[in-house]
Amino acid sequence: MMGRVLAVVVALTLSLPAQNATRDKNKASTKGSVPRTPDGKPDLTGVWQSGSTVKGSWEEANSGTGIGGTGKNPSAPAILSASDRPAAAERAPYQPWAAQKVLESYKNRGIDDPAAECLPPGVPRTSVLGLFPTQIIETPKQIVILYEYMHEYRIIPLNAKHPDDLSPTYMGDSVGRWEGDTLVVDVTGFNEKTWLVGTGTFHTDALHVTERYTRVDKDQINYDITIEDPNVLTKPWVIHTNLMLRDGTRLQEYVCAENNLAPAFYERMQKNGINFQRP
Amino acid sequence: MKVEFRAKMIPSQLWRLVAAIALLAIPLAAHHSFGAEYDANKPITLTGVVTKIEWTNPHSYFYLDVKDEKGTVANWKFEGYGPGVLYRTGWKRGISMKPGDTITVTGWRARDGTNWGHSRQVTLASGEKLFFGPPAGTGDGGSVPPVEVK
Repeated sequence: MMGRVLAVVVALTLSLPAQNATRDKNKASTKGSVPRTPDGKPDLTGVWQSGSTVKGSWEEANSGTGIGGTGKNPSAPAILSASDRPAAAERAPYQPWAAQKVLESYKNRGIDDPAAECLPPGVPRTSVLGLFPTQIIETPKQIVILYEYMHEYRIIPLNAKHPDDLSPTYMGDSVGRWEGDTLVVDVTGFNEKTWLVGTGTFHTDALHVTERYTRVDKDQINYDITIEDPNVLTKPWVIHTNLMLRDGTRLQEYVCAENNLAPAFYERMQKNGINFQRP
Repeated sequence: MKVEFRAKMIPSQLWRLVAAIALLAIPLAAHHSFGAEYDANKPITLTGVVTKIEWTNPHSYFYLDVKDEKGTVANWKFEGYGPGVLYRTGWKRGISMKPGDTITVTGWRARDGTNWGHSRQVTLASGEKLFFGPPAGTGDGGSVPPVEVK
């Protein structure tokens, strides 16, 4: 599998040399250290790692952490997973009844995680992962985001409206617009089969996510997320994180259904009465 | 969450430690729950001969023939990252570890008591150390629930 790249990435990349050449030619027009497209917008194109604040290549930024590179101490560091609340984020403001349901999943150590069934993780869960790279391809009319994790993608038309006939989906329907130097993405049309961020963070089909991508310099995009779902939350849940540029990283193939043993393992443990719950 | 301090920590190691602490906030995607399948209170270190490697998603597996003090051989199965993450973690498929290699693995045992474990660090036949899987606790919700406990 090493060396294989998503076919869609290849196709899109092959279609971009002219654009890249134009971008290189326009480096002189870059304001500050934020790369810009020929039409003056911040250029978000690149391969990114979410959640990190460390500059450099994937290997440089992750060496010794257990995400990448080698390490000496197998017990450290204990890095938070996608089933955890990001350290910088406030706890999810669930209504009391809904909080109990979230806690039930937490107590059961997330065995009801839809991702364990190889289902799409949804938004923003897919966007805040640190283990897998994300590729953004920016054009004047649309932004394309490719996620290695679960082979997900989003096509985000700019200055467009959501279709009137939306069917509920795992990744929702995204439309974008530029507010100054910030790309604002409005996401709606979700089904109820994904988690937001962290174990058990369920939602209803009233979910509305607003993302703000602001490239602050060559290396970093500030990524701010507002999550609204009046059916389960008491107020919008706001999460601030960021994406770091990882030049040279290629998205790899990720076919989750290939050898997914988790559901059978969970079933076997429950059948055999093996206790795995939190006390 | 433990970070091991060593008496003679050199500057580059210190840098790594700082980087590691800075990265603690990274949400990692574990495909499934560590805590449901594995017991963080049952760490294990085994040395044996690799019999098979499965480079598959969402997780890779390798199998190890381990001989006990009586000379009885048991085949163990260890789980870790999928191939894409292993590639970025420094693994070279077909080169780093091959059937027949004698390696040492550190990880945690499965709750069902079978010869199954979650692998963290592998010391390869060459002496090189690489991570084959994430730390204990990945993917099961961490130490703090995402909502207030009342």
